[in-house]
Amino acid sequence: PAATVLKYPLSNMAGKAGRQSRPRKADKDEEEKPLQAVLVADSFNRRFFPITKDQPRALLPLANVSMIDYTLEFLTSTGVQETFVFCCWMASKIKEHLQKSKWCRPTSPNVVHVITSDLYRSLGDVLRDVDAKALVRSDFLLVYGDVVSNIDVSQALQEHKQRRSMDKNVSVMTMIFKESPPGHKTRCEDDDIIVAMDGKSKRILHYQRAQALKKLHFPMVRCLEVGSDEFEIRFDLLDCHISICSPQVAELFTDNFDYQTKNDFVRGLLVNEEILGNQIHMHVTRDGYGARVSNLLMYDTVSSDTIRRWIYPITPEANFADQEGQSCTHSRHNVYREPGVSLGHGSQMEENVLIGRNTVIGANCTISNTVIGANCVIGDNVTLDRAYIWNRVHIADNVKVKQSVICDNVEVKHGVVLSEQCVLAYNVVVGPDITLPEGTVLSMHHPDEEDDEDEDEFLSDDNDVGYSKDKTKQKVFNPAEVGSEGKGYRWKSSSLDDTEEDELAECIWGLALSADPESDSESEVSEGSHDLGSHPASPELDDVKVFQNEVHGTLQRGLDENISCDNLVLEINSLKYAYNISLKEVMQILMRVVLEFPFQQQGAQISTAQYSSHLLPLLKKWAPVFKNYVKRPQDQLDCLASMEEVFLECETHWAVLMSMYQLEILEEEGIMHWFNQGSTTDKSQQLRRNQGLLKFIKWLQEAEESSEGDE
Amino acid sequence: MPGADKETELSERIEAFLSELKRCGSGAGSLRGSAETARETTSLLRRITAQARWSNAGDLMEIIRKEGRRMTAGQPSETTVGNMVRRVLKIIREEYARSRGSTEEADQQESLHKLLTSGGSSEDNFRQHFTHLKANVIEAINELLTELEGTTDNISMQALEHIHSNEVIMTIGRSRTVEAFLKDAARKRKFHVIVAECAPFCQGHEMATSLSKEDIETTVIPDAAIFAVMSRVNKVIIGTQTVLANGGLRAVNGTHTLALAAKHHSTPLIVCAPMFKLSPQWDSALQELVLRSFCFLLPGEILSKVNAHCPVFDYVPPELITLFISNIGGNAPSYIYRLMSELYHPEDHEL
Repeated sequence: PAATVLKYPLSNMAGKAGRQSRPRKADKDEEEKPLQAVLVADSFNRRFFPITKDQPRALLPLANVSMIDYTLEFLTSTGVQETFVFCCWMASKIKEHLQKSKWCRPTSPNVVHVITSDLYRSLGDVLRDVDAKALVRSDFLLVYGDVVSNIDVSQALQEHKQRRSMDKNVSVMTMIFKESPPGHKTRCEDDDIIVAMDGKSKRILHYQRAQALKKLHFPMVRCLEVGSDEFEIRFDLLDCHISICSPQVAELFTDNFDYQTKNDFVRGLLVNEEILGNQIHMHVTRDGYGARVSNLLMYDTVSSDTIRRWIYPITPEANFADQEGQSCTHSRHNVYREPGVSLGHGSQMEENVLIGRNTVIGANCTISNTVIGANCVIGDNVTLDRAYIWNRVHIADNVKVKQSVICDNVEVKHGVVLSEQCVLAYNVVVGPDITLPEGTVLSMHHPDEEDDEDEDEFLSDDNDVGYSKDKTKQKVFNPAEVGSEGKGYRWKSSSLDDTEEDELAECIWGLALSADPESDSESEVSEGSHDLGSHPASPELDDVKVFQNEVHGTLQRGLDENISCDNLVLEINSLKYAYNISLKEVMQILMRVVLEFPFQQQGAQISTAQYSSHLLPLLKKWAPVFKNYVKRPQDQLDCLASMEEVFLECETHWAVLMSMYQLEILEEEGIMHWFNQGSTTDKSQQLRRNQGLLKFIKWLQEAEESSEGDE
Repeated sequence: MPGADKETELSERIEAFLSELKRCGSGAGSLRGSAETARETTSLLRRITAQARWSNAGDLMEIIRKEGRRMTAGQPSETTVGNMVRRVLKIIREEYARSRGSTEEADQQESLHKLLTSGGSSEDNFRQHFTHLKANVIEAINELLTELEGTTDNISMQALEHIHSNEVIMTIGRSRTVEAFLKDAARKRKFHVIVAECAPFCQGHEMATSLSKEDIETTVIPDAAIFAVMSRVNKVIIGTQTVLANGGLRAVNGTHTLALAAKHHSTPLIVCAPMFKLSPQWDSALQELVLRSFCFLLPGEILSKVNAHCPVFDYVPPELITLFISNIGGNAPSYIYRLMSELYHPEDHEL
């Protein structure tokens, strides 16, 4: 194959050459270095909106402890001694929380540095900053602020170090996976992945998110190239979002400024493996627990797993965050009580219940699979099942709640029924006597603020809050949605990124798909291979296809903005170099793009007359571009061959050939040579018998004869 | 200020110890033996004694008690920590009494009459200052540490008295004490060991591998086969996590089954337990469960609908136990209360 081409070859080479000396020097004292971690305390998405409008995701309570505390506990227990916490959205709140927590005490074995910036918009930005500030000295752990885990990574770390010392820094990353068969509840549909790996070396050969994927293409070539005699394709793995990275990872993010997510990085690295020579390995754990709270469904799952003690030794009664008054007692059926809980007469805590300190529960309540925060007041005859009630919530009598999240300071008046998957965000008041349908989301923020907030999202949160408060005052609460005394706005399900329903999760994924250029281009690749028919799918195809898209885009822009032909040639030339396309291919692609132009604009079913009326002005306009590329007789033949390929399908459009001749792009010798050339397939023979074409050839011949006669 | 430095260093050490305790867990699958925990606790307490600021025994006891409470709260199921705190408190009491000139005996054998008449706690008397108290206490704690280091050896030394040639011995799970005990006996005698695997964590497998490396004839059986095999067994030798004040055990899950089977076949049940495992707790304290997660092997769909409970410890009542072998010799379960009163002061039972 020609080559798998690098997008930014120059910057990459420079980066590699300049840096290669650094890690080698560091090799010797690798052992004594303390383990570092990079914790990204921002999700860079809005799955938890509108809850995360008031509180960053990392600080949301999970079994009454902030999620970031779980992550830090995990890091500390695996022996991390220095952690860099990167925050963006509501950074000041995270910072404040960490300063108060045990992690910032002088005795903490894990030194936590908080780094904030409003400019982080993706994981890529964070890692580029890690590289720019030269924070990491050796291998580090990369996690998100919402990872809950008890995995002991020391074994994986050792394997990683061993690989790196053996193979001269070829392996840059070890991803940690948990074995969990399909249907396991910690598997989040968004995160389903398919991984191909080398069975012996545990090297990842292919990594693909499986969401909404109907069929899969595996680059068998890559798998076979490795030369391993056993490789596995696995669907029973859960990405724990914990990875052991070498400092090169941060450098690679800097070099490839288009990498935004870890997914980009992994796929980019795998595609360019033979050029950069970097490899990714994996470590599969069987009995550890690791999951990322990436949506509310996962929140539900991870909370209940915590209470059911799957994350031992991180259990509610361990009070690992070491907060005053948080020590709770654990009794049969996983009932946990913090001090000061009062339970009314006849109330039952059935199973898997955690009740925060100083919470008062009235008489005859039935509570199961529920977490209740601190200082809540719950009335009589309340039924709670799979409810997640945060702090200072007031629930009046005769309320029924099923699988819902109720945030801080919410007031639920008497007789309210919350159906499944409801979310009451901060400070909402609901009721009395209203039944909220399934999937209702209420917030004090009006959904219309959404658009304004887009810009604010990554800016300071302080002024943002005040600003939105002013706005809410202008709007009126709808009593049909929140009850006669209620306060809050209903968020439309369509704008809801945080729902728990699978179909909506798919919809989110769909949006993400169109935003992700890599998967986009890939879906086109499969179409492209269909168009070309005879070509087998090979990596080289990607670039040709991408190049074709780029050329098309360039021409389209040239048309819209009236760019001169010289500049167009310049752009196409630069694209040619970027994708490493040969001159012959450039010509063929250019021809194809131009000829398909009317189809793209008008649809495939246009008539011959329409087609030529569209194409002719274009051809006239771009004649200099063609002339720049079509110079030698061989070029003309290539050009014609490409035309032939296009017109095999729609042979009526031969008028184009005529105009090409008239515009002096093609010369008669070339056309005659092509026509007389032995045709190979039936179709092209049939093409040569086309009436219009024959007439044109005849005319050409006659013209030639007459000119000869003139002489 | 060097004093302040010392204190932060001290609290740093305590914090580190605490987090270590929390993380390692206890009971089945704990990362280290309770002997090590006991040693570490004691040396930490010695450090506190040496470095904390106190002027008389009362202050010191208050400090130790405070830190002790924190340490026991860190890992409630690991009773060793609390036991060591109690031992050190007892040492302080004794040293104080000795410095004051009164005999230990008088202090120890408090009669019911004395208890009734003395009224308030005797701690009021601990306010006197003695210059040598600190050195004496540290000396005594050092003695305790030496004792702790020798416990396993002391227990395994008695092995030959209990294990005879060609006997069939059954044990369960993995106890470091029992392991040493059996290995010691194996140097002189030939015998056959049957190990119950102790599902779901199957520590029994580790035990069996370790024993077979020492050329002991070893068989691993599933827990369900305990009763069936019991008729062929001459002795059951087990370890335990805690010895309770009534002579009962808190031991690894499955021990109760084993003890009942042994009782049914009148097979003697011997418990190897060093003295530091003696806890003044009663079985009422067993309400706190220690549960762990296990087995991710079920199909996912089922697992999400299932509540999996996995208790780690069993309570074994004292009636089922024939003999305790501790580092100071063999004792019947009914004698445990007496040992308890020798080791701990009654006022320290509740920290």
